[in-house]
Amino acid sequence: MIRARLADAALALALPVLLLAAYDGWARTAGNFFFPPLSEIGATFAAEWLFTRVPTDLLPSVGRMLAGYALAVAIGVALGTLLGLSRTLSRALDPVLQFLRALPPPALIPVSLLVFGAGDGAKVFLIVLGAVWPVLLNTVDGVRGVDATALDMARSYRVPAHARLTRLILPAALPRILAGARTALAIAIILMVVSELVGADNGVGYTVQLAQRGFDIPEMWAGTVLLGLLGFGCNAIFVAVERRVLHWHLAVTGRATHARRP
Amino acid sequence: MQLIPAISRGRGLGLAGVVGVTALLEVVVRTGLLPQAWFPPPSRILPAFGEIVAAGELFGPLGQTLQGWVLGILAAAAVGVPLGVLIGSWPLTHRLTRFTLEFLRPIPPVALIPAAVLIFGSDLEMKVFLIAFGAFWPVLLQTVYGVHDVDPTARDAARCYGLGPRAVLVRITLPSALPHLATGLRIASAIGLILAVTSEIVVGAPGLGVRITDAQSAGGAEDVMYAWILAAGLLGWALNGALHAAERRVLHWHPSYRGGVR
Amino acid sequence: MLDVRELTKSYDGVPAVADLTFTVAEHEFVCIVGSSGCGKTTMLRCLSGLVAPTSGEVTLDGTPIDGPPPDMAYVFQDYSRSLLPWMTVAGNVAFPLPYKGLSKADAAAATAEALDAVGLGDRGDAYPWQLSGGMQQRVAIARALAYQPRILLMDEPFASVDAQTRADLEDLLLDIWRRYRITILFVTHDIDEAVYLSQRVLVLHRPAHVHEVVEIDLPADRDQLTTKRLPEFGELRTRVLSSLRAPDPAGVTP
Repeated sequence: MIRARLADAALALALPVLLLAAYDGWARTAGNFFFPPLSEIGATFAAEWLFTRVPTDLLPSVGRMLAGYALAVAIGVALGTLLGLSRTLSRALDPVLQFLRALPPPALIPVSLLVFGAGDGAKVFLIVLGAVWPVLLNTVDGVRGVDATALDMARSYRVPAHARLTRLILPAALPRILAGARTALAIAIILMVVSELVGADNGVGYTVQLAQRGFDIPEMWAGTVLLGLLGFGCNAIFVAVERRVLHWHLAVTGRATHARRP
Repeated sequence: MQLIPAISRGRGLGLAGVVGVTALLEVVVRTGLLPQAWFPPPSRILPAFGEIVAAGELFGPLGQTLQGWVLGILAAAAVGVPLGVLIGSWPLTHRLTRFTLEFLRPIPPVALIPAAVLIFGSDLEMKVFLIAFGAFWPVLLQTVYGVHDVDPTARDAARCYGLGPRAVLVRITLPSALPHLATGLRIASAIGLILAVTSEIVVGAPGLGVRITDAQSAGGAEDVMYAWILAAGLLGWALNGALHAAERRVLHWHPSYRGGVR
Repeated sequence: MLDVRELTKSYDGVPAVADLTFTVAEHEFVCIVGSSGCGKTTMLRCLSGLVAPTSGEVTLDGTPIDGPPPDMAYVFQDYSRSLLPWMTVAGNVAFPLPYKGLSKADAAAATAEALDAVGLGDRGDAYPWQLSGGMQQRVAIARALAYQPRILLMDEPFASVDAQTRADLEDLLLDIWRRYRITILFVTHDIDEAVYLSQRVLVLHRPAHVHEVVEIDLPADRDQLTTKRLPEFGELRTRVLSSLRAPDPAGVTP
């Protein structure tokens, strides 16, 4: 048992180690200006991000991202529930919502600059505007898909409307809602970076771009690696939370629900 | 009477929704609830869009954006599908790569924009690289899942009937993995468009995004800016619809399409 | 106690229930049989106040039903859909109780008692999907019991469990009926089950209306082996079956 696990872990780690070693070996011999050896990137990473720039750049980035994401989820679930409860309304608004979801959110960067200027507001606004649609549409789907028998059951036991919403409809829609929220998280991180590449004066994305403009290649890669770690970390936290909250759903279906509309 | 089929009733409702939302926006803007400087009334945006179309201005940038998208998605599929089949076909390769793939997948592709600009410049090449990178992961992972999930009974049965490894791949494995691959392409398509517009807006690669920023920086041309945003949204919406239709066609045998529901 | 008078329910002008009239007395066990698709479920939805009838009236103790009444509990056929998978067994049973005005302690006591009554006293912390089908339907029955209704409506509750479990559940239900002195209206399409359980069988024809009432004058103490071996049992089953298959006298015009 333990041996099998160790073997699994060794196998899983073998490839990344191999890839990194291969890159390092190549970078050292090739001496390509754009691809510095790992040691150089690592040293810059340690110097910049452990932890000098954490309060000045990392925290503002993460703060804006979380604020936008939280707002997007809250708005998406609230509006999605409202729409999902009305068959007519959700069908009437479906084409409009489909259009808004299909609109690539970076197209709205000029709008966010127009409305909010270059401050934090513009960035949070952009994240909300991009991340809200998958949550909203999946919430509509989830609410509309609640089992009719379960609703009849609650009504026949005289469970009042507000309790039907909080204890039956929302939990039943949760797998769908979280599937939408997972898609929204990826979009929120993308938009966090994008918003910092245009009209920003701090943030991880801003740092990376500044380094690129100054041809400080190791610093550029160090920031890029940090963005990767950030994406990985947020996703890992999300998956852990989802596993906890949806243990019943995973047990029943054997897997997580995927967003029907990515 | 039941003569009007449900679908056309739904379409009518959707059309009413589009008209209703447009009218509402018009009222909200005309009454000053939403400042005209931020959002001109639809009665100005729609004619501006009409002018772009009538003057033939739309098609150049539209083609440029579409070109990047097509090339990027093709490159991602050309690498991602064969690699996914390779990885998914054997338990050992699956175990070897799983951790690495799960780690690389959530990395926001936009983090590579500065590096890509440095290496590829700010034109089509950079755009295609970004789109291909972003679209690669969903295509690869979904192919791996798909191939990995192929019903072993079907594979064994095929072997019993004397099908060679190549025939098993073409007749059993690939068709079984197709629904997953379709999901991967749908996600890839959305990410691809986001990255196309991002590289246009942030870096200035030619395409729809540049027209949006141009209109914004021109000052007083908000209606034109929104007309270009409308074009970007319509492109996303059309790509979605086209993929969906293709999927329905290719996957008509799959349970999610067989019922004819949705 | 339950009084159904000239109940009619139509969908798009097509009647599913037509001119249905019958009464159920206090502490009676009445079974309703009818072929599938004869409008039994629609009838139950009208009786439970889930949908409003097109015409006619249902009264419970003289009060017209215009919404789910507080003294009534409904057990659905499909336990996998009527039990909520994110709640434990005890959570499912206790779900409606706070809205009935029960305190936390009272709700917990009622839940424990109901689970004991269906033989699941030790499974309160399990999740429904961890239990077998028969046990899940016991949970649904416990939920109805904990609600302390005076009348229980049951819609083919044992249709999707295996034969042995079904016999066990039937005896459990008879035991509960006697112990709690409740009134039961039980819909089934299984003739044996109807005769074995009830004091009276109503035979429905389509669209749902009473074709015939068969009094079940079997001894009160029922047993899966001895009762079903009685010659009267066989006669009653034959009567119900022939009534079910009989053509309608006055021309079938749905």
